[in-house]
Amino acid sequence: MNTKMMSVLFASGNESKLNELTIHRTTASLPFGGRYRLVDFALSNLVNSNITRIGIITRNNYSSLMDHIRMGRDWDLNRKNSGIAVFPPFVLNTSREVYKGKIEAIYTILDYIKKSPEDYVVVSNCNIAANIDFVKVLATHLEKKADVTVLCHTARINSSRRVIIKKDESGFIKDLHFEETPSDQDYLISLNIYIIKKDLLVEYVENAYSRGLVDFEKDILFKEVENGRLYAYELQGYAAIVDDVKTYYAESMKLLERGVREQLFDGENKIYTKVKDSVPTVYGSSCKVINSLIADGCVINGTVENSILFRNVRIKEGAVVRNSIIMEDGVVMEKSTLAYAITDKHVIIRENRQISGFLTYPIVIVKNKVV
Amino acid sequence: MLRKECVAMLLAGGQGTRLGVLTQNVAKPAMPFGGKYRIIDFTLSNTINSGIDTIGVLTQYQPFELNQYIGNGQPWDLDRLNGGAFILPPYQKAKSGEWYKGTANAIYQNIDFVDKYQPEYVLILSGDHIYKMDYSKMLDFHKLMEADCTIAVIDVPIEEASRFGIMNTNADGRIYEFEEKPRIPKSTKASMGIYIFTWEKLKKYLIMDEEDHNSQNDFGKNIIPGMLRAGERMYAYEFSGYWKDVGTISSLWEANMDLLDPQSDINLANKEWKIYARNAAEPPHYIGNQAVIDNAIISEGGNIDGHIEKSVIFTGVTVDWGAIVRNSIVMPDTHIESGAIIDHAIIGWGARIGKNVVVGEPQKKPVNGEWQIAVVGPGVELEAPMKIKAGEMVGGKK
Repeated sequence: MNTKMMSVLFASGNESKLNELTIHRTTASLPFGGRYRLVDFALSNLVNSNITRIGIITRNNYSSLMDHIRMGRDWDLNRKNSGIAVFPPFVLNTSREVYKGKIEAIYTILDYIKKSPEDYVVVSNCNIAANIDFVKVLATHLEKKADVTVLCHTARINSSRRVIIKKDESGFIKDLHFEETPSDQDYLISLNIYIIKKDLLVEYVENAYSRGLVDFEKDILFKEVENGRLYAYELQGYAAIVDDVKTYYAESMKLLERGVREQLFDGENKIYTKVKDSVPTVYGSSCKVINSLIADGCVINGTVENSILFRNVRIKEGAVVRNSIIMEDGVVMEKSTLAYAITDKHVIIRENRQISGFLTYPIVIVKNKVV
Repeated sequence: MLRKECVAMLLAGGQGTRLGVLTQNVAKPAMPFGGKYRIIDFTLSNTINSGIDTIGVLTQYQPFELNQYIGNGQPWDLDRLNGGAFILPPYQKAKSGEWYKGTANAIYQNIDFVDKYQPEYVLILSGDHIYKMDYSKMLDFHKLMEADCTIAVIDVPIEEASRFGIMNTNADGRIYEFEEKPRIPKSTKASMGIYIFTWEKLKKYLIMDEEDHNSQNDFGKNIIPGMLRAGERMYAYEFSGYWKDVGTISSLWEANMDLLDPQSDINLANKEWKIYARNAAEPPHYIGNQAVIDNAIISEGGNIDGHIEKSVIFTGVTVDWGAIVRNSIVMPDTHIESGAIIDHAIIGWGARIGKNVVVGEPQKKPVNGEWQIAVVGPGVELEAPMKIKAGEMVGGKK
């Protein structure tokens, strides 16, 4: 296919609801799945779909993101003629403050978008874990002659402010609206990932910006519904939207299901991340481990059940970790018990501590804390 | 070209015939080791960690896997503007063109490559040992002694000394005699196959050696004895620490098992001296509900639901419920099905061990120094009632 795509990613969004997990970082650099950060899924999907010109717009606390991405080599994005561009916040003259919504955000990099030779743009948040082939999505977009293709999936509303889609039999969108309350019923939910012709995106954004509008979904897409050219592309398989602590925990734990891991990792399209050259994990003689996802570099001498351990985690003798997520370099010392907890990077749990959250309210322990 | 003080030349062309089916299609340096590494990772990582950033890798036997693995050298930080990693296969020259006849001839054929960097010293390495070593200290020693050649040696038990090339030295480390596999060893200083030469000196001996048609063009057999006879300044540099030749099935197995031994000197987790490898893009490994793990090393991408005891499990391995793996090495992308029993074995990459197949047998101690390790070749598929006995090797071309 000769039609070329570029991409614009938003590194930030939903930080307030992710609470302690995003004090030090963007949503994009939130660790997920034992060795990844959320942005790895977006970057890998794009690269696997031959999209190599990627602009990431940041808003705040983006040093962790810069450190993770560096020159983009781990995603094969250190290219001569395209590659990755991280845009630090750009203060617009008119408002004297950092951008308020996606419209302003895109407006700040409009020159970059206009100068790029690609004809189509993938516009995406970085809080999605899924395995997406954008080549297929673009083919459908072209075939349907859509203005905007909105990626979506069928799921329950497990967090507030999801965008709900109603579509007709041909797949075109009849209605878009926010849903605030969680529900057990299945809905067609937008993943806030779009494919759009570049010229049209520029037109939308310039028009909206000149009218002082900020919200890409509400101020552009919701209004475009009436033209009938928004197409809903439904993704099959696992897709996670991570926008608060509860969904972070729930979506992480789904990775313990083999089917979910197969959909996310086992296909031809791999998920890449920053290489850290950790050693393989060492299991001692006194360890007891079941139903857990374990990254490289761990040393396990205690009990681990229904948990996710990131790289270089130490579980000492007599320690018990259940239903928990331990991020990189975490240490759980002798005879401590941890349940329904999310410990951020470099957290140390000292000897004989008892810490427990609850399934629907996992306790979060902030980065670098010693408990 | 920017001048380099020291250029490393890594001899990676050996076939490694004693590894049988494992090296039938790949060169020994490309052999998987320690869960996620290849044997050559140790030498490459030592080189860059020692501050030497220009390395020629001499390949000849089954080079494709190795060439692809090394690529532009990026995983070892060897993708440099000046220097870096270079694959050096034998090539056609204006008047002649021939295979590498021996280790010395391999360097001889690449004199032009080394000369481009105008180095003062050349470090000669082989790609089939497991060890961590700071070559810059050896280079300091070489300079201090104003040596023409420095050979790294390691103290071996006297009863094993007759298996090695032994250096007999004066008190200051100067070598006065070199004995290849002596029946009655006079010292316990075994050559590690690591040499530093002053380049101009080595070049002279390489050219002389090439003119001698009776020479086997080998460092150990010709160059070193020749220099010694001529009275050149040759010194033994004593190295202490973990060092293992993994040239046989038994030693390859032992070296992997050493990683499980907390008392062993080979500490891979030491962040000051990392061993780098080309990383596979695999998710973390998953330990299932039925799994029992008792002292193991497990790499990424695996799905483990069986019983693992004192074993090294490489990247992307599946061990089904009810399978038992003990004292074994399971190489990448293998599948061990339920009911299979594996003990004292090496399972080659991409193999499938069917339900209830038995590979290897329990062992208390080695026989004449050799463990009787069962080996299943790469890509081999076994079905019950297959039973592979201790020390037996299956797979590969007949």
